[in-house]
Amino acid sequence: MSILESQPVFAALSQALDVAALRQAVHTANIANAGVPGYRRLEVIVDSQVQASSSEPPDWDTGASPAGARVVQTAADTVKLDKEMALMAKDATRYQALLSAFERTASLLQLAIREGKEG
Amino acid sequence: MGLFGVLDISAAGMDAQQARLEVAAANLANAQTTGTRGASLYKPLTVVLHSDMPKGAQSVAGLTADSLPRPVVAQTVEMDVTPRLVYDPGHPDADARGFVAMPGVDPIASMLDLISISRSYEANLRAFDVTRALLQRTLDAGSHR
Repeated sequence: MSILESQPVFAALSQALDVAALRQAVHTANIANAGVPGYRRLEVIVDSQVQASSSEPPDWDTGASPAGARVVQTAADTVKLDKEMALMAKDATRYQALLSAFERTASLLQLAIREGKEG
Repeated sequence: MGLFGVLDISAAGMDAQQARLEVAAANLANAQTTGTRGASLYKPLTVVLHSDMPKGAQSVAGLTADSLPRPVVAQTVEMDVTPRLVYDPGHPDADARGFVAMPGVDPIASMLDLISISRSYEANLRAFDVTRALLQRTLDAGSHR
C-alpha cells in the first residue's frame, strides 16, 4: 500500500477518478459507434460500498467509495448524439471536480509536511 | 485501464466517418458518368460499418476502457440499384431509343449522408478534445502549488 492509498480520502478519490475515466471512455465509445447497425448504447453502473441496510452514517475513516463499476448494455437503446455529448460534458466536469478535490487534499497534506510553513 | 486508449476509440470513429465521406463524395462525383468504351456503368457504393467487440467477448460484461467496442469498416459494397435513364439521343452512349444509362445515385440521400457524416465526425472530434483535456488536466495535477 502506497502512502497515498493509506489515506482513505485519497483511496476514495482515486477510485472515483477511475470510475469517471471509465465513464468518459464509454461516452467516447458510444459516440464513435453511433449509427452503426446493431450497436446498443453502453452505460456505466456503479455499486456503492455503503451498505444501504446500515443505520449508521458511513465511517469517516473507511469512507464511502464507489466500487465495482460495470459496463452494461442498455436494452434496445440507440445512441442519440446530442444527449451523449451533454452527458459527456457533465461527466468531464465531474472528473475535473474530483481532480480539484485531489489537488486540495494533497496541498493540505503538503502543508502538514512543511509543518504549516508557507512556501 | 487508462484514458490514453480512449483516444484510439475516437480515432476509429473518425476513420469510419472518413470512409463514409469518401464513398459519398465518389457517388456524387460519378453520378453523371456513363459506361463508355466497354467500361461497366458505375454503381453507387455504400460503407458497411461494424462494431468491433474485443476478441472472445460476446457480451459487454467485464468491459474496461481498453476493450470497448470501436467502429470498423467491414466492407464497401456496390449497391444494386437500377440505372437512371436519361433521354439524350445525341449522346454517343445512347441506346436505340435515345436513352443514356447513368448510375442510380440518389443526390438527396447523398447530401443527407454528408450532413450526418459531418455531425458524427464533429462529435468524435469533440470527444477526442474532451479526453485530451482531461488527460492534460491529470498531468497538471499537483504540478503547481
